[in-house]
Amino acid sequence: MIQLTVVAALIPYNTFVVAAGVAAVGCAAGVIGTFGVLRKRALVSDAAAHATLVGVALALLLTGQRDLAVLLVGGLISAMVAIVLLVLIRKFTRTRDDAATAIVLSVSFGLGITLISGMVSRGIPGSGGLERFLLGHTASLTAYDAILLGSVSAISVLCIVVGLKEATMVAFDPDFATAAGWPAATIDLILVSLVAVMVVVGLPAAGAVLVTALVVIPPAVARQWTERIVPMLVIAGSVGLMSALLGVTISSLAVQLPTGPIVVLAATSFLIVSVFLAPCRGIIWRTRATRLLPSDCLQGKNAERSACAATERKS
Amino acid sequence: MITLIADSGVTQWFERVGPLHGWAIATAVVVSACCAVVGTLLVVRRMSLLGDAISHAVLPGLVVAVLLGAQPGGLGVLLGATVAAMSTVWFTQFLFRQAGLWEDASVGVAFTTLFAAGVLLVTVSGSRVDLDPGCVLYGILELVPFDTMDLYGWDVPRAFVSALSVLMLLVCGLWCTWRWQIFTAFDTDAAKAAGIPVGGVTLGLLIGVSLATVTGFVAVGAILVVAMLVVPAAAAERLVHRLHHAIWLAVLLAVVGAVGGYLLAWRFGTSAAGMMAVVLGVEYIAAILIAPDDGVVAQFISKVFYLWRVQCEDRLASLWRAEEAKQFVQEGSFAGFVNRWLCVSGQLRKERNVFVLTPQGRVHAELIVRSHRLWETWLGKHVDLPVDHLHPPAEWIEHHLGEQVRKRIEDELGNKDIDPHGSTIPREKR
Repeated sequence: MIQLTVVAALIPYNTFVVAAGVAAVGCAAGVIGTFGVLRKRALVSDAAAHATLVGVALALLLTGQRDLAVLLVGGLISAMVAIVLLVLIRKFTRTRDDAATAIVLSVSFGLGITLISGMVSRGIPGSGGLERFLLGHTASLTAYDAILLGSVSAISVLCIVVGLKEATMVAFDPDFATAAGWPAATIDLILVSLVAVMVVVGLPAAGAVLVTALVVIPPAVARQWTERIVPMLVIAGSVGLMSALLGVTISSLAVQLPTGPIVVLAATSFLIVSVFLAPCRGIIWRTRATRLLPSDCLQGKNAERSACAATERKS
Repeated sequence: MITLIADSGVTQWFERVGPLHGWAIATAVVVSACCAVVGTLLVVRRMSLLGDAISHAVLPGLVVAVLLGAQPGGLGVLLGATVAAMSTVWFTQFLFRQAGLWEDASVGVAFTTLFAAGVLLVTVSGSRVDLDPGCVLYGILELVPFDTMDLYGWDVPRAFVSALSVLMLLVCGLWCTWRWQIFTAFDTDAAKAAGIPVGGVTLGLLIGVSLATVTGFVAVGAILVVAMLVVPAAAAERLVHRLHHAIWLAVLLAVVGAVGGYLLAWRFGTSAAGMMAVVLGVEYIAAILIAPDDGVVAQFISKVFYLWRVQCEDRLASLWRAEEAKQFVQEGSFAGFVNRWLCVSGQLRKERNVFVLTPQGRVHAELIVRSHRLWETWLGKHVDLPVDHLHPPAEWIEHHLGEQVRKRIEDELGNKDIDPHGSTIPREKR
């Protein structure tokens, strides 16, 4: 405890607040991303992330304010528009889902780049700073920005905690939720919007190109360790938090270093370690298990488990 | 013809803005043709997202190759990028199979990780690599004409030469393996059963994608190359149905996008790569709007025509029923327009302010009423519905029954003349 206070006294206030804010973003992105990944929306969030640039650039162009909150609201609007476009293309054309995602992603990113580069060449004030939204640059955040990001993240996590039962139901079995009389479509919409919010508040930390990693990798790590939703949320949250903290710390060591890549690589190293070491699902565990147990014994265990599941289903 | 071109100012333009823009446009055209050729196969095989992943993953391979001393735009860079692209595919498969991750999440993890590694390498190695994070994202098309090499006495941009050789390589490869590619694309299992090396065909396609991506990377950057791979192909696929037509059309759309995007970007003073993606996006929107059979406009028009036909036929049938019951009928919606159209087409006639059926209209109306009542009778016989529930389904299906179906229902019912409501089923005049 004493050591912590000493550390806190040594690093400047601004750095401390920024680190705390970004860590909160990482944690919330991990928690909310879990639902996105469970609903198989990893790449939808990627398309939304690439589309945020359009909104950020337009917000600066239309309001003339460089305030982070204004820019992020613009980003959120364009992310939602991108998601709606994606749904429309999937519904009304015969373009396949994967191609639709790639189209929305690349064209909206192209539009964003066009806007930003046009604004830079016209010398619109503040437009030079927009490039930090591409790869993330936490060093340019102020304490006020960090508090904003942190509180939005906290509110988003609070939403999930309050509606945990509903969110879990819709994430695992939307058809059953609908049949049971729940407003599944509305809950699903809220979940999508929360993912879009996380993608947007993650922009300063990881940038439009890499922010999707914040909502995809921590849940993937958590998936290796557990099969239950609450532990999964806790693990995803902590992995997100640790990756974000590592990113902020390492990128603050050098001026030129963007935060996004470091956050992503930190999260991926957690993933690789988990893929090998996690109990039950980990590669090392599985190799040992197959060597120790004869194969028919494994099959017997599986048969027993499925019989057990069948009786549970009946009762 | 030549004088026409000369008079139109093209030559003056070319002399003034110089070969610089010309070379940039030519490079963009060749690059986008490369991407469109392989992109069409990617889209048809539902592997668009692999193209996305590969385009991101090419970056670390490129940087490592340059750090190891490969010439930018040379063979070493192509090799490094292809190896990196293959490693993404391997990484995705590893996460999907070994770690049991969801497929989309595996792609997401793989390409963000490799791209992050690439960006970090670029930033850390600094001046040793001739790339900065910005140009990684949106290319250096504007600078392409300045990096030239000597080709049989001509001063040709290096990027143009490598793009052209990749294009020739891709076209040759596709030409030689065309039948295999097309068979694998449409039915992988049947192709495997027929003894085609499906794995090799897919590997070849992926190598082609990574070659196209590397050439595109230099011109337009990592993310916008996805637009070049996927968007023209998806647009072409909506417009034509044969694969080789789709490839030609995709190349055409990509070339139009490249030239149009470059000129618009030049006009508005913005990023050429971004503008190309925007133009391609506009082309895609136009394609889904005007696609001949399943486009949004075509669907809308056919729906409007269908609703109009239903209105007309309902009007005729209701007049016929009124004649049968010797009553007047209520007018349906759009009554004025419907009546006017039916008069013009000779199915209605106005007599003392009342519309009556012409002989031609009566034949048509009898067919509709006949379909309706036959269907009601059939439902009454085979489906256990109360009598007052027979009308709505018949009201809908009367517009869809053809002559053969009516004949079969009639045979099946054994020439019954009365429907469940007690009305006579009108005879069909053959």
